[in-house]
Amino acid sequence: MALSSGAGSGNSGTYTPEITETMRFEEEIQSLMGVNLIPLGFECSPPVNAGSSSFTALLGLQPNQAVELLHELDPAPSPAIAAGASFRPFGCSPTFPSNASLIERATRLSVFATGDGSPEGSSAIPSNSEGDHSPYPKSEPPDSDSKPRRPAKRKDADKSSKAKSLTKKGKCFPGDDDGDSFANLDADKLPYVHVRARRGQATDSHSLAERARREKINARMKLLQELVPGCSKISGTALVLDEIINHVQSLQRQVEILSMRLAAVNPRIDFTGLDNLFTAECGRAAAAGPGPGWTDGVIRRNQQQHHHYEHQQPIWHVDHQQQQQQETAGWERDETPLHHHVFISGSSSGSPPGTSLFGYDSAASAALPLSSQLKSEI
Amino acid sequence: MISSPCSTSAAGRKKQRTYFRSPPESKWRSGSQQLIYGRRLFDALRAARSGGGRSAISSRDIKNAADSALALTAQAQTRWSRALLFGCCSRRKVLLKAAGKIRRRRPPRPARKFGGNASPEPTPMLKGKKVTDRLCVLSRIVPGCQKLSAPCLLEEAADYVAALELQVKTMRALADALCASSLSSPSRESAPSTAGACDEFAS
Repeated sequence: MALSSGAGSGNSGTYTPEITETMRFEEEIQSLMGVNLIPLGFECSPPVNAGSSSFTALLGLQPNQAVELLHELDPAPSPAIAAGASFRPFGCSPTFPSNASLIERATRLSVFATGDGSPEGSSAIPSNSEGDHSPYPKSEPPDSDSKPRRPAKRKDADKSSKAKSLTKKGKCFPGDDDGDSFANLDADKLPYVHVRARRGQATDSHSLAERARREKINARMKLLQELVPGCSKISGTALVLDEIINHVQSLQRQVEILSMRLAAVNPRIDFTGLDNLFTAECGRAAAAGPGPGWTDGVIRRNQQQHHHYEHQQPIWHVDHQQQQQQETAGWERDETPLHHHVFISGSSSGSPPGTSLFGYDSAASAALPLSSQLKSEI
Repeated sequence: MISSPCSTSAAGRKKQRTYFRSPPESKWRSGSQQLIYGRRLFDALRAARSGGGRSAISSRDIKNAADSALALTAQAQTRWSRALLFGCCSRRKVLLKAAGKIRRRRPPRPARKFGGNASPEPTPMLKGKKVTDRLCVLSRIVPGCQKLSAPCLLEEAADYVAALELQVKTMRALADALCASSLSSPSRESAPSTAGACDEFAS
């Protein structure tokens, strides 16, 4: 799901605000006009995922045309539809309770729809041809009427923004190269910077560019500070960077240690059984919500298992030092002699593969000879 | 992918390619990402094991598998993820260029005008030597970020940190689960009783 959405992020990103808009719009219509119309209306349209473009195009038609479409599908007269008949002159119907909000949303939708909806509007129309031929001749002319207006509106908006930026930059806008520099450096904002020179600061194009760049860097630094725990209190770029570097190095070290653990555990594991485990975890975690609950749940269950600890798995020593006190009582019955033996002997010859890992307890540096031991045994 | 809410404003069709870089926390801390990564890691481990057969699985293999899984989960949209995925490949440069918009720097770097300064020293007046040193160190730590400009480097670092946290959390949980399942088996052999242990977990 994330994969597919990521792959299509270039397109779907523009649709998602539209789709949420259309969802809300649909709910509004639903609440106002009765529930029976909506399921009928949108059963005929292709499912949202496959034809997300056609869905938005369906509502990219003027909203009153969508209402007309719905009317066509449900021929049964009802007070709801009679009330809906008054919806057609959208702007002037006094019986429509949330008129203003719907109009505003309709205009916003139509603004979205003309750019995206016009190529899909034509494609949606043949795809929706399951018997709804009649509304289309009606809907198309008003749509084509509205289209030329709206691009003009957008162009005006563009021009006004350009004019705004130009006037604000004022006289210090000598030529094309500075324009290029402005366009280049604000790659993460709108192409035209609406910058008003602050009091006491130069409006020089160079300093403006530098200031914008510095602000970019500061924003990123702030983001990093939030990410790394304990960095918000530190002031000073160098110290914060120190902290960040330490944090990244510690995370990388933890990954190495965990990978060694996994390597040690791996040969013993039957993966088919664990597949069930994992899917069960995934299912439960998906039901439960965010990730932390999952890991906590796993760890808690593991702790319960410790009471039946056999001397087989010494890897626990590495991470569960604090639980040793609980478990030594259970251990001592059968494994103390073995424990001592292994510490004295140190190497793995003759002892079963698991117990040699007791040496792991001493230090992380012991892990390297440990892995070589594993290789010799296995 | 979460796109920034200002992307489709009514102001019209501006260039939107940079709007899809969502903040790293929201991307990596969602539970779904953890599940996806966990699943992928698990599959990678299983593949590594079956590929290795009876030979020992070194920790380096596991680390590489985990990193590759992480980079895949990042969908190769960041530089570090691409470097992780293609780092072992011999035709790395071609793949990197094809996969992303990495600008290749020739050693005698032509002096660019301001507007996307590519060297690690963006504003020599503002940042002292210490900061540039730290930035160099950071660029060495984060894979694939050599000779990157400061804002890009910081952005990559933020994404990398979030991804690493996810990786550590998932690997720890996986290791614990694996240990617990093999632990609960009374006999030395794990095969017959693992299924029983899993039923316990599943219930």
